[in-house]
Amino acid sequence: MSAPTSDDTTTQPAVTEEYHAGHRRSLAGYLVMPGVLALACLVLYVYVSQQELDSIEARSLNAATLTGALWEHVQLTAVSTVLTLLIAVPLGIVFTRPFTRPIRSYLITLLTLGQAVPTIAVLVLLAVVFLFLGFWAAIVGLVLYAIIPVLLNTMVGLEQVDKAVLEAGRGMGMARFTVLRRLELPLAVPVILAGVRTALVINVGTATLVTYINAGGLGDVIVAGLSTNRVTIQIVGAALTAVLALLIDYLAGIAEDLLRPRGL
Amino acid sequence: MTSPSVDSTSSDRVMIHLDQLSKRFPGQHDNAVDELTMDVREGEIVVLVGPSGCGKTTTMKMINRIIEPTSGRIVLDGEDVTRTDPDQLRRRIGYVIQQVGLFPHLTVGDNIATVPTLLGWSRDRTRERVDELLSMVNMPPESFRDRYPKQLSGGQQQRIGVARALGGDPAVMLMDEPFGAIDPITRDRLQNEFLRLQSEVRKTIVFVTHDIDEAIKMGDRIAILQEGSRIAQYDTPEQILTHPANEFVASFIGRGASLKRLNLSRVADIELSPWPTVGVDASPEEALQALRATHHSAVLVLDESGRPRRWVGAEDVRHAGGRPLDQVGLPPEPVVEPEVTLSDALNELLTARYSVTIVVNRQGAFQGVVDIDQITDAVRTMRRTAVSRARAGLDENP
Ligand SMILES: Nc1ncnc2c1ncn2[C@@H]1O[C@H](COP(=O)(O)OP(=O)(O)OP(=O)(O)O)[C@@H](O)[C@H]1O
Ligand SMILES: [Mg+2]
Repeated sequence: MSAPTSDDTTTQPAVTEEYHAGHRRSLAGYLVMPGVLALACLVLYVYVSQQELDSIEARSLNAATLTGALWEHVQLTAVSTVLTLLIAVPLGIVFTRPFTRPIRSYLITLLTLGQAVPTIAVLVLLAVVFLFLGFWAAIVGLVLYAIIPVLLNTMVGLEQVDKAVLEAGRGMGMARFTVLRRLELPLAVPVILAGVRTALVINVGTATLVTYINAGGLGDVIVAGLSTNRVTIQIVGAALTAVLALLIDYLAGIAEDLLRPRGL
Repeated sequence: MTSPSVDSTSSDRVMIHLDQLSKRFPGQHDNAVDELTMDVREGEIVVLVGPSGCGKTTTMKMINRIIEPTSGRIVLDGEDVTRTDPDQLRRRIGYVIQQVGLFPHLTVGDNIATVPTLLGWSRDRTRERVDELLSMVNMPPESFRDRYPKQLSGGQQQRIGVARALGGDPAVMLMDEPFGAIDPITRDRLQNEFLRLQSEVRKTIVFVTHDIDEAIKMGDRIAILQEGSRIAQYDTPEQILTHPANEFVASFIGRGASLKRLNLSRVADIELSPWPTVGVDASPEEALQALRATHHSAVLVLDESGRPRRWVGAEDVRHAGGRPLDQVGLPPEPVVEPEVTLSDALNELLTARYSVTIVVNRQGAFQGVVDIDQITDAVRTMRRTAVSRARAGLDENP
């Protein structure tokens, strides 16, 4: 042992220099997915343009109809996800405060049960019992379904924050709300975002069903193909949905990378 | 000839007064802390030590009301704080927890700035304070300010924990096993460093540990606690080592109490022995001459600022073959600073090549050496003073 000099601090290697690159991908890594998706769209386009389209097929497979359906689909997904966040994150915060501990386990059971009910049942229920149809009915159905993963992830994210960190914060005189805002939420962000990503992907998929309650989206294209027995239309509708889902998942991944606090 | 004693480091002003403080956790039979009354004086380190589960942590956390007392009063610097706003109270009290609890998503600088920010200090003042504290704990601000906690070693994290607790320049610090989860060598170094820091900042400190050796080393006074935070003995380390109040204390100190007494004295407290030295640019002849003038088998080569560079023996000089003196011989080990205890110095010199420990000051300049005779002398003197003091005590209260 040597005397208590400062030498160990200066000879300590700077732990990891590549650290700032962290979990983030390289630029090339970021470009792979968009490239693949663009290629898929191109292949689809070439395939469709080489088909002889009959009048039924031509009614579905034109730029105006397809971009319209796509745009509706994006709106459905975006609005339902934003609403989901606005509801689920605050709920997750409330359900991790000490005063809700007694009811917490009942709540989780209830939510998990809720998740077992298929969305289509919810949509049909809304339409038949409440005569509630269209865009906003679809949003209600989507939100109800997506709340659960976001809520559970918010709760898990907040619970997994190191208790010592919170005690240190409290012990230095941070008010409860400050602890939540400055410590708990930032440290829960990665887990919460993982929940959001799940919700987005669920919503993109489930939004194909809302065509049954007249709410539009890419489901219109698929169902048009099914009801008229046109395989090309079905393929285009399904492929576009898949491309959109992958694209949204990719964008959510980037958001996760950017929003994850540095130092974690 | 003792550890920094109560008289030299603290005034008689009571900084923390606990009055019949009790805590019973919900659903438990006995009080975790039972009617504890104790005073901590301004500027002293009081160590709470005792077996696991005796209530040390609970006691400490009641002072900043992380745990609210069931009954009793806490008086801080003359002010009853039992019912005041806990957040305001906590900003006045430094808090170091065993698990360190650095904020992983904030840089070292922002971690240290926590309390200054809460207190609404200006940016410039906060920044200055952060750099000052980093230097104080021996971590150069330029290279550490912008790192994240995960980029630090365990010992460095502990230091930042201490620096962060000092952020708002609190008069009082609470430290719960601050050097707990760490290897013995680093632990020792952090303890020494902390004692040196304390000699500059003179905080009133309540320090929790379950390690009696650490208590003896760190404490101006030690409170040995039993189940329910009942005080078995509250006194200076020497008194506890030489006059354990009861069976419990005696068994808690354990055997080897006389060796433990070496933990009570620091190298600074004893007179160092001289040792022959030469400058780096001295010729071989000068070195040999210095050697011949004494009975020692090596000279210590010092650089321009008086820092030890090399041990050089007569053989080394002869085989130097024209090389300068600082390129022959052995590295100058072991080296200690005056703050270390005699026990540390003894450990070092037992394995040293020339059976002495080199002592340097903070700037690293050579002060003298410690050898085994000085240590045995110190033990003897300590025993004598302890005995005579005990006699004096008996005369006062028959
Ligand atoms: N939050 C709590 N709820 C219930 N009981 C508790 C709580 N915290 C501590 N206790 C009990 O109070 C007693 C004292 O605990 P405390 O943590 O103060 O012990 P300690 O002296 O710090 O022990 P150690 O050296 O193991 O840290 C123990 O019996 C413990 O079980
Ligand atoms: Mg404890």
